[in-house]
Amino acid sequence: MLYVVLFFLAFSLLLYVLLAGADFGAGIVELLSSKQNRTVTKKTVYRVIGPVWEANHIWIIIVVVILWVGFPGFYNILVVYLHIPLTLILLGITLRGVAFVFRHYDVYKDKTQVLYDWMFRVSSLLTPIFLGITFSGLISGKLRVTENLETASFYTAYIGSWFNVFSLSIGLFFAGICAFLASILLIGEADKEERKRYVKKARITTITVILLGFMVLSIGYLQEKTFVLNFVKSPYSIVLIVLSALIILPLLRSIKNQSSIKTRTLAGIQVVLILLAAFVSQFPDLIITSDKTLSILDAVATKEVIKVLGIALIIGGTIILPGLFHLLKSFKMIKILE
Amino acid sequence: MDNLDAARLQMAFTLIFHIVFACIGMVMPFFMVVAHKKWLNTKNPVYLTLTKSWQKGVAIFFVTGAVSGTALSFELGLLWPEFMKHAGPIIGMPFSLEGAAFFVEAIALGFYLYGWKKLPEQFHWFTGVIVGIAGVASGILVVSANGWMNAPSGFDYANGVFTNIDPIKALLNPAWFTQALHMTLAAFTATGFAVAGIHAFQIYKKRQVELHKKAFKIAITFGAVAAILQPISGDLSAKDIAKRQPVKLAAMEAHYHTTKGTPLYIGGIVDNDKQEVTHKIEIPKALSFLAFGDFNAEVKGLNDFPDDVKPKNIAMVHYAFQVMVGLGTLLMVAGILFFISLKKRSWWTHKRYWLFFFLLAPLGFVALEAGWIVTEVGRQPWIIHNVMKTKDAVTPMPGIVYSFYMYLVLYGTLSIAVTWLMIRQIKFLNNSNIH
Repeated sequence: MLYVVLFFLAFSLLLYVLLAGADFGAGIVELLSSKQNRTVTKKTVYRVIGPVWEANHIWIIIVVVILWVGFPGFYNILVVYLHIPLTLILLGITLRGVAFVFRHYDVYKDKTQVLYDWMFRVSSLLTPIFLGITFSGLISGKLRVTENLETASFYTAYIGSWFNVFSLSIGLFFAGICAFLASILLIGEADKEERKRYVKKARITTITVILLGFMVLSIGYLQEKTFVLNFVKSPYSIVLIVLSALIILPLLRSIKNQSSIKTRTLAGIQVVLILLAAFVSQFPDLIITSDKTLSILDAVATKEVIKVLGIALIIGGTIILPGLFHLLKSFKMIKILE
Repeated sequence: MDNLDAARLQMAFTLIFHIVFACIGMVMPFFMVVAHKKWLNTKNPVYLTLTKSWQKGVAIFFVTGAVSGTALSFELGLLWPEFMKHAGPIIGMPFSLEGAAFFVEAIALGFYLYGWKKLPEQFHWFTGVIVGIAGVASGILVVSANGWMNAPSGFDYANGVFTNIDPIKALLNPAWFTQALHMTLAAFTATGFAVAGIHAFQIYKKRQVELHKKAFKIAITFGAVAAILQPISGDLSAKDIAKRQPVKLAAMEAHYHTTKGTPLYIGGIVDNDKQEVTHKIEIPKALSFLAFGDFNAEVKGLNDFPDDVKPKNIAMVHYAFQVMVGLGTLLMVAGILFFISLKKRSWWTHKRYWLFFFLLAPLGFVALEAGWIVTEVGRQPWIIHNVMKTKDAVTPMPGIVYSFYMYLVLYGTLSIAVTWLMIRQIKFLNNSNIH
């Protein structure tokens, strides 16, 4: 049953990255659009993510619940030591969510729209950056997990692990992935000139993601981060990264041909490969502190709890997934049946 | 301010904020689908306009409830890591089911909000019903988790270690039913009276009277029925607390001394130093009867509990309890008056009738928040009743007070923004030409 739970954890995290990622990215694409194109982009973004964005963001709640129920030790480290970046993520999620709804449900469209728009765009960029930064805190090798926190300074205990160049590079990398997913999603949702703009954006973001990926690896390598050293040494990671490199050309070609289904599929595979590559070399030791590695399987909940959690997830999954699929299909985020 | 106080304040403040939005988000869909059904049956455009404007309200309240709920799911751990480390696996069941229910709600809401003219009429309407049902289900599940904090069960505890964890038993803890029933009725009462009150004000001001009367009737019917049923649930809750948390009962009524045939205090000023309540109305033997069903039963006073197991702020618990019961009774009377007014329609022509219901608008929520203060402050110093103290659960990170200030500004601003949006919404509605 532990594997069922781990599967749902990975699956929820993956869907969060793909769906919420595209969703954050839509705001980044809007931010990066030129002034005269923003209004058009705003309309398209609303049409595409409006019906689904709330559902997209619930995956993070599922991830959190699985962590605290099934892996309380891991969750505890996350909430104690990464309190500050997590709070900043929440701030971003809140401002972004309300701005998105306010700007579409405010009955009078007046000057306040400018405020909503900027709140939405800026928080769409900053939230994924902080998501990446928070993740980096776990693997930066600067986390000082200790019983007697009083002896550590506030900086070493609560700031040092995520406030550094390596963390920032991971944050930017994740924001890049979001923008990449969104531009590819938007290609299939627009016509003519607008479609061409997203094609261009998709190309630029693809290249940007590759460059940012190299940046993360180089910084990590130069700073001798355990995470990156394990990554480049692991044959599995190398194979996965080679595979993802191999589909870059078909992806770029498919972007050029504006084929929406093929592009979306390839982009999805691309992100899955990158995530797998990152996790496979490290699993299950997902926390790298200043002096040791901690496994997510340390302090896992008892067998009975895992069993019940697994059953709950299977039941929940059978209710939610078909509904979600129909929602995505009805509003054409999935274009399989056309 | 020390860290514990700051963390408690932040938790209290964010919960007080979230509860309002969560309640409206779970109850308003029911008003919306009733109006929608009436539109489908009568094809009266007033109902369509009403449905669509309530739908905008639902969307705005739902998102605010959803984001503050997401924040809370993190805050539980951010502020109380020791609590979550041990309680997380035990109360994971209600939370994971709540996650599922919330997911269903969000999916159904996506269908409903964007399904106009795209989905078959009846199916579209039905997705709205699912929004409501899923909302109530997630409310009940969250309250069940809180019930577990009041009536911990489904584990063995010795020397700081939790063993033999049974998540199902924890979900169905002894407090879950009474608390969930009380809270669900409270949510319907509070939202019903709040929405009805806003529409009553528009009728009072003679704006779009036809529409607002229809809206008023739908909302107040839900609110009035719930308010009339609430005392029964309140009685169940009181008896339950008397049995399981006698110290909370003593604090609610500010009884310092153990007595038999204990009177019920109404109102009064608590003097914690002299250990007495002055300026109160006393109903002889009533508390003994209400709590134990026996006029001569013994009610244990606060003095017979050790200092380290009873709440410090007796006055706050007592006042909050008085506010809850007082306002609940007032709303029940108002509910009965509404049903009488259905027979005596001449009342509806009086301006005072509408002013009365307008003035009641915020009171349901005041009562509801007061009720949560009773149950949460009344449980102190415990975070898990008789198992873990709140001070032992708080985060080791110093400086929580700054995080509290951040939430104060953020949610303060959001409250103003949402109110302002609602005012604009109503203004727009009043200026629109329906026919």
